Amino acid sequence: MTRTILVCCGTGCRANGSMDVSLALTAAVAAAAADANVCCVTETGCSGLCELGPLVRIMPDDIMYYRVRPFDAHEIIQKTVLAGEPIERLLFKDSSGNHVLHQADNPFYGHQKKIALRNVGIIDSRSIDEYIAHGGYSALARALEMTSDEIIREVEESGIRGRGGAGFPTGRKWRSAAVLESSPKYVICNGDEGDPGAFMDGSIMDGDPHSVLEGMMIGALAIGAEEGFLYIRDEYIQAVKSMKKAIRAAEKRGLLGESILGTNRKLYFSVVRGGGAFVCGESTALMSSIEGNVGEPRAKYIHSVEKGLWGCPTVINNVETWTNIPFIINAGGKKFAEIGTEGSTGTKVFALVGKVKYTGLVEVPMGITLRKLIFEIGGGIPNNRKFKAVQTGGPSGGCIPASLLDIPVDFDTLKEYGTMMGSGGMIVMDDHSCMVEFARYYVNFLCGESCGKCTPCREGLRHMQSILTNICSGYGREGDIELLEMIGSTMIDCSLCALGSSAPNPVLTTIRYFRDEYEAHIREHRCPAGVCKALTAFSVNHATCKGCMACNAVCPTRAIVRLNGGFPIITKSCDGCGSCRDVCRFNAIEAVKGGRV
Amino acid sequence: MIQITIDGIPCTCKKGEKLLAVARRNNIFIPTLCHHDGLPGMGSCRLCVVEVTESGRTKVVVSCLYPVRGEIEVVTNSERILAHRKMILALLRKRAPKSDVIAHMCEAFGAPDLPVASFDGGKCILCGLCVRACDLIGAGSVATRTLLKKLAGQGCAYPVAGAGVIAMVNRGTTKSVSTPYDEPSEICIGCGGCANVCPTGEITVTETDDGRTIWGKEFKFAFCKECGELLGTDKEVRYAAQRGGRDPDFLCPACRQKRSADAMADAFGRR
Ligand code: SF4
Ligand code: SF4
Ligand code: SF4
Ligand code: SF4
Ligand code: FES
Ligand code: FES
Repeated sequence: MTRTILVCCGTGCRANGSMDVSLALTAAVAAAAADANVCCVTETGCSGLCELGPLVRIMPDDIMYYRVRPFDAHEIIQKTVLAGEPIERLLFKDSSGNHVLHQADNPFYGHQKKIALRNVGIIDSRSIDEYIAHGGYSALARALEMTSDEIIREVEESGIRGRGGAGFPTGRKWRSAAVLESSPKYVICNGDEGDPGAFMDGSIMDGDPHSVLEGMMIGALAIGAEEGFLYIRDEYIQAVKSMKKAIRAAEKRGLLGESILGTNRKLYFSVVRGGGAFVCGESTALMSSIEGNVGEPRAKYIHSVEKGLWGCPTVINNVETWTNIPFIINAGGKKFAEIGTEGSTGTKVFALVGKVKYTGLVEVPMGITLRKLIFEIGGGIPNNRKFKAVQTGGPSGGCIPASLLDIPVDFDTLKEYGTMMGSGGMIVMDDHSCMVEFARYYVNFLCGESCGKCTPCREGLRHMQSILTNICSGYGREGDIELLEMIGSTMIDCSLCALGSSAPNPVLTTIRYFRDEYEAHIREHRCPAGVCKALTAFSVNHATCKGCMACNAVCPTRAIVRLNGGFPIITKSCDGCGSCRDVCRFNAIEAVKGGRV
Repeated sequence: MIQITIDGIPCTCKKGEKLLAVARRNNIFIPTLCHHDGLPGMGSCRLCVVEVTESGRTKVVVSCLYPVRGEIEVVTNSERILAHRKMILALLRKRAPKSDVIAHMCEAFGAPDLPVASFDGGKCILCGLCVRACDLIGAGSVATRTLLKKLAGQGCAYPVAGAGVIAMVNRGTTKSVSTPYDEPSEICIGCGGCANVCPTGEITVTETDDGRTIWGKEFKFAFCKECGELLGTDKEVRYAAQRGGRDPDFLCPACRQKRSADAMADAFGRR
């Protein structure tokens, strides 16, 4: 039997040295080749569980190894590939200590359902042949035989909504562009993922670029466009390379260019590198940037579907939306609509990060509960700490508290609770997070990312920043909370673009769910989570302290000393960083009211 | 023709007409700051917000940019709108603490005094009118566009100081209007277009009998060779001639007309 060794070479695993692992495996295969009918080594895109990378998977046995080092290569070839024996120490250990052989039996993967990521981590992203061998471009061939109306009907029937943020129904968007007589028309792929901590679109472009192209080609056929742009964030060097290469390969095969697959349809795609600004992810700002103007949003009273790029009809969808299209055409819109919930069909890719055991890229059916996502797939909170909140939807998303862990994750439910799907960032926080500080952090970030064009966003953010900074440093005043709410409401209603109208989310949701924490800061000058330095001091509880001095080792200011061989105490030089509390395995270091105020 | 109502008053308008224009035509007052009839709208100040109800759904829009496309009901002074206007003015007061225009409006609209430190700024509310005016009538038009195109080609999405005569520089809360590197501009022609449209009087213009100072630069006035009437700054006259593809003649329109009439008379030998 021929075996394939898949080596994850996504960004995360590459940072952990997967390229060396791949080289070592190739060398080991060559060395063993004499007596083997093996085997090829394939470098794939991100397999999702970056936390435990580099990942190596042996197919078709489906044996998955984690944290593989180059020196494991020889053993993998000799034992697993040639003799079919698993190597225990490289396997995943589940919560009860059992070794898990197959990917699907790992709870991280078991609950997932992959549509957008169907090929990511399975094929060599640089090879168009592998994509075709895995069924790629069959949807395009099918779409070429369909009328525009038939294509759009499938997309409408699938119920798919835009994966980039607002969740506008994709089919409806296409329909309104298709009915317009004017030409030229354009399709755009928004690959300007600017959320810190989000990497789903980058991983798709890097790990399965042809699926994005195929989706865009089908979209172009449906609306009658002959030109398309992929706007990719400048930092995604790998994704830019990979997409450019994919376009060239598709042109060579006659899938793009003068005549698609011998028909009289023309189609040209090109890559545009983003200006490196968060706000350019906003569709009108993005188009303005492609046109060569300042990347600032414009008023959207005439939809970009009618007057988009250079004033022409334009359909803009994000990376994940486009990759779903080939599946919808092949399997039928009905099939897609069966997955997920009624109002939010299909699956969604999330970047699960923060205080969760297994951080990484996951794709789950819409409607999954937050609890399942964080505790079953993500493995829960590390160090047995308590879950406090999860932020969804990127920097301008809101946070959801523990009491709402059982709500389903879909467009409308998240919105109802004050946050949003956004592009699918998910940041988990434990009980060592202060929610006021959390809000301040994101408002700070957004202050620098707002384009500054309109009053509510520019001035509102500056005011929020100043008020929140005051609260965190102990100068909060009665009435601050209400003022934050008022500013937030003006920002939501009156901002020019979605950045401004969603920017208050981190503030408003923390007020909604953690108002007492704000009040403790303002009225008692106390930070309940022990994060705001100006309000917090640390002390050692001698009843639980075991005297291990682990805290002493991490203290940057050497503030922890042991007097007369007794228990440690914290001296005046403490800077309030909280590292000692994080490192203490006996929870003997407590945050108390204190600090500089 | 479309029938709409604004604050209950029936108004007729053309499809695509901006809501603000319809309201003004019907003597319904909506406050504005960044709107100017002669310049393209930008929707930056957000003071002109109103509530629009269309097929049962109500949303807040800026009237200066909102095109009427169907039967709608508009409310310009609901509690929600008034609260937003107050907040917008209150926020702007902290941006432009020295502006009497904003201070007066705050008083008139009852905007609260927010407990947040003001910018040490002057009067500018970053409405962007000056930049648009310079782009359209001043020397900014050509210079800005060519330079921005070039920069965009190099992957730059933001105007850099140096893009035009005046530009919005920086982004987010640190945005400001300025000449390149805050130095007197090379290409400004001193036409004063920017200062004329500025709603807050941020741009200072000082004039003497023979010149004008604006953006830290002095401009000599030019006068009509024949009658001595003021034509504008010397640079302005030259710029206008250059744009028209001729040499500057330093004549006022009346004298120019007279001269061509004379020339004509000469040519036909009636002198
Ligand atoms: S780490 Fe905890 S138990 Fe160990 S010495 Fe420090 S406080 Fe005591
Ligand atoms: S909080 Fe930071 S600075 Fe203070 S004692 Fe602990 S480790 Fe040292
Ligand atoms: S005075 Fe200078 S900056 Fe102002 S509009 Fe005229 S050319 Fe532009
Ligand atoms: S200087 Fe005047 S016109 Fe220019 S942005 Fe500021 S307030 Fe507006
Ligand atoms: S990069 Fe390998 S799992 Fe993400
Ligand atoms: S006047 Fe309409 S937004 Fe400024």
